[in-house]
Amino acid sequence: MNKGHSPPATPAATPVPQPYHRDSRRDFIWLTLGWLASLFALAASGFATLRSLVPNVLYEPSRRFKAGRPGDYPDDTATFIEEVRLFIVRKGNSYRAMSGICPHLGCTVNPTVGKYPFLCPCHGSHFDPNGAVVSGPSPRGLAWHLVSLSKDGRLVVDMDQTVTHDKTLVIKA
Amino acid sequence: MDSLRKLYPWFALLGLAVGGLVLAGYYKDEFREWKRWQQEYAAQELNRATTPEQKEQARALPIEIKQIVLPELQRVDRCTTCHLAVEDSSYAGVKQPLAYHPNHARHPFEKFGCTICHQGQGRATEREAAHGRVAHWEHPMLAMKYIEASCAKCHAATDVPRSPLLARGRALFEEQGCIGCHKLGGFGGNLGPELDKVGAKRSPEWLAKHFKSPAELVPGSGMPPVKRSDADVAALTLFMLGQTGERLTEYYVSMKTIPGPDIGQRLFGQKGCIGCHSVGGKGGTVGPALDGVTQRRTTDWIVKHFRDPAAISPESVMPKFNFTESEIRSLASFLGSLTGADVLSFMKIPAQASPVERGRAVYLKYGCGGCHGTSGEGGVPNHNAKSNQQIPPLTAANDLADVFLESFITEGVPEIGKLDPNGPKPPIYMPGFGDKISEGELADLISYLRSLKP
Amino acid sequence: MKSLKQIWLTFAGTRVGQSIFRVGLPESNLGRMQAMVSSFLLHLHPAKVHRHSLQFSYTLGLGLISLYLFLILCITGVALMFFYVPSPEHAYDNMKDLEFVVSAGMIARNMHRWSAHLMVLCVFLHMCRVFYTGGYKPPREFNWIVGVGLFVMTLVLSFTGYLLPWDQLAFWAITVGTNIAGYAPVVGKKIQFLLLGGNIVGESSLLRFYVLHVIVLPAAVVFMIAIHFWRVRKDGGLSRPGEPDVLVQQSETGPLSTSKTYGLMELARGTSPAVGLKPEDEVPVWPHLLFREILLFLATMAVVMFLSVFWNAPLEEFANPTHPPNPAKAPWYFLGLQELVAYSAFWGGVAVPALLLVALVALPYLDHQRVGIGVWFARERRVAVTIFTICVVAAVVLTAIGTYFRGPNWDWVWPWAASAVTPH
Repeated sequence: MNKGHSPPATPAATPVPQPYHRDSRRDFIWLTLGWLASLFALAASGFATLRSLVPNVLYEPSRRFKAGRPGDYPDDTATFIEEVRLFIVRKGNSYRAMSGICPHLGCTVNPTVGKYPFLCPCHGSHFDPNGAVVSGPSPRGLAWHLVSLSKDGRLVVDMDQTVTHDKTLVIKA
Repeated sequence: MDSLRKLYPWFALLGLAVGGLVLAGYYKDEFREWKRWQQEYAAQELNRATTPEQKEQARALPIEIKQIVLPELQRVDRCTTCHLAVEDSSYAGVKQPLAYHPNHARHPFEKFGCTICHQGQGRATEREAAHGRVAHWEHPMLAMKYIEASCAKCHAATDVPRSPLLARGRALFEEQGCIGCHKLGGFGGNLGPELDKVGAKRSPEWLAKHFKSPAELVPGSGMPPVKRSDADVAALTLFMLGQTGERLTEYYVSMKTIPGPDIGQRLFGQKGCIGCHSVGGKGGTVGPALDGVTQRRTTDWIVKHFRDPAAISPESVMPKFNFTESEIRSLASFLGSLTGADVLSFMKIPAQASPVERGRAVYLKYGCGGCHGTSGEGGVPNHNAKSNQQIPPLTAANDLADVFLESFITEGVPEIGKLDPNGPKPPIYMPGFGDKISEGELADLISYLRSLKP
Repeated sequence: MKSLKQIWLTFAGTRVGQSIFRVGLPESNLGRMQAMVSSFLLHLHPAKVHRHSLQFSYTLGLGLISLYLFLILCITGVALMFFYVPSPEHAYDNMKDLEFVVSAGMIARNMHRWSAHLMVLCVFLHMCRVFYTGGYKPPREFNWIVGVGLFVMTLVLSFTGYLLPWDQLAFWAITVGTNIAGYAPVVGKKIQFLLLGGNIVGESSLLRFYVLHVIVLPAAVVFMIAIHFWRVRKDGGLSRPGEPDVLVQQSETGPLSTSKTYGLMELARGTSPAVGLKPEDEVPVWPHLLFREILLFLATMAVVMFLSVFWNAPLEEFANPTHPPNPAKAPWYFLGLQELVAYSAFWGGVAVPALLLVALVALPYLDHQRVGIGVWFARERRVAVTIFTICVVAAVVLTAIGTYFRGPNWDWVWPWAASAVTPH
């Protein structure tokens, strides 16, 4: 009915009989204990709910993976591995891994023929064979990742480790 | 107003109860067995580390669930969450779960995982559940005794040179005439259930026990017990366990590193080789006959010829089929088997043999021996059958005219006379083979039956 | 405690605080009642409530517990949705991941499962309570019908959720359950076909059940709960003995409710209480009802958490259409019907459920004498109480038989015998 206009904030001016017996120390303890425990339970449940959303396992390709035998890659080319969007660059006995993800906004770069081998189709960033930006909006060059050799003779790329473009893995024939 | 005050202790009590239960839930969720093993592994690594760099690495080992995602095998294996050292040979001989897994070069873990061979529950991260020894999980870990059964998921039984057990199982399967009543790979009889997925459905214990006394596990089963040694029953069980009906995707099929003649035989049929080449006098005449071809040519020549026929014999009109290396080796292996050194006897009738010999092969092919005995001696029990509660021997075939024999084989004998007219129907009857057996096979079979002496 | 309150008061007194809470933290009964009508979350309550309605022995808190369970179900349900894909390929694996790799995943699933079972039970018991205390009598006839609707919705919600784990238990319970529905004449088979999106439980059934379970039915239940609560207030609060007889007056503009409960308006203007209500029988909702509500919520949570920490929700083998378990059982609340179907498909599948539903809906219009309201098992209602009790006992006995006493081939087994199938 007259819920439309809000009642004024109540000043606690007039003394009114209190519903609680606030003088009782025991009541105070019970209430405090109850509220603290309940609020703890509430906070902990909220935290657990948030925590559950942090994944414990990922179904995406591993950031550190085996990329096959060195011999699988033809000499003097950049071979694109679609699954992880990464180029394995081989020159003779030296191996490097360059990210195929444009640092601008995460699109996948295309190898194009012409002066600059790598072009991002989304916003037109060009990268030279060392991954450095030649033109376009990309703030950085393409990242290079650490390549190592596993015990069973396979290339291992660690996408969590970024290196400079001249760091290579040399495999003795 | 006092009524409310009385509730205050309840408020505290219930609040504490809920808070305590939240803590208990957290404890149960957070403290898992696998974390202990990862700590143990980290400690071992630290112990083994010699350089400061290695020590640093050992300290930085994360405590996390590890998994191998195998979309093509429809599996996620988390076994390496506890079995952390499977790839590190320096852990050879260490107690489980931190032991090294030898011999994985051909089946790398990142492509095969663990459960495709060992079974168990790959997604589980608790020991009993992961090993599949819990209620409601159908595939507990395969005992090492039967582990070779898993080879048969990809490899043909005859293709695994290091598993004589599997080959023995397959041979026994043929000898026993199982195919007379059971279908495997779309071929066989209808009296018993199909066996294509039997390995996924039954446990090793069940299978072994069932072979010895079928009726004990399946009431009313008419299947005769397999009267063989324990070792033979184990081999047969192992062969059955490998029949899981799992379909593997192209990657795994192409990875069959042990090519076998049966794959070659299949290819031989699929590619229509017989259109130009003849085997045993049957087939086309455009190309040369292939009997004994491996005696005329070296394996190297055959392999090179398959890769590109024109490259090795310029006159050849044979097309380039673009076979994979594995397929080429399978075909070569099959051609080699044409000389007679053939392990897959039951699928193939020796071409240049007497009618009786060919009839014997037909007898094995259709699994007649499953009921009539390895050499037609009969004697398999058939409860309440008029013929002495047994399947009669076939040695009386000589007394019957061809027409009768033919009709028995093609039409079958669906109604078996009862010994006790009020008793149950005898479980085994003769199914008709008319829609399966060819005219030639029928004639050969009859020749074989006539050759049987009492 | 004191300083916490001080912080609160300081905040509530600021311009921002006032704009949000409007009345601050009230210090007097008047202030508390103002808060009740001016706060959205609190205005679902009246400002004052009759003492009788606060008696636990009268309500047993069943309606509120049902509401709380529904809230727990909504919250845990949303949490579970983050980890669930409604497809036969993924659903079962999602369950395994909840158990083995998602933090707090198993406990969330357990809470959802146990709350669902408890909710079916509590809604049923709430209905029994309302019957035994005559709560459906005028003017509350319609609210009883809304309540019956909510009971049916609760069953359907639970039933649709049953399929989602896509294990043997789920698959066969839904197969059996929908086949019971298929016995209904004329429309039965069509309803079954429509519900499953095919002739057998399959991919489309899972998707349909999922959509029904996570959006259609919960939305409908929220709407019906709103009506249910609205009517509780508009029909004069909870039933109690000695209510005024005439609650609806005719006027020129049609029926006009005078059964108004105490709002702030009367108090603020200093009007006297409405007929039949003595001021000393009424207490402010804040704190008397609110505190009890919090207490009841804690108690509900405690029970749900206790069950969830110590007993895991079941998950059987991956659904396998070629290997039905023996016996294949519907969810437990339908086992009474399944037991009846075992005797007669017509009676179990059609007649009994239809008659029960019609009887429940017609009840407040058949039994409309305003006697024995607000008392448990009133003497004047001996006949009605007896009939209802017979029905309840029959339902409970049949359900118990179906759940505990039926083994392979629906043969009688003793639950304590070793081979007894444990119910889920």
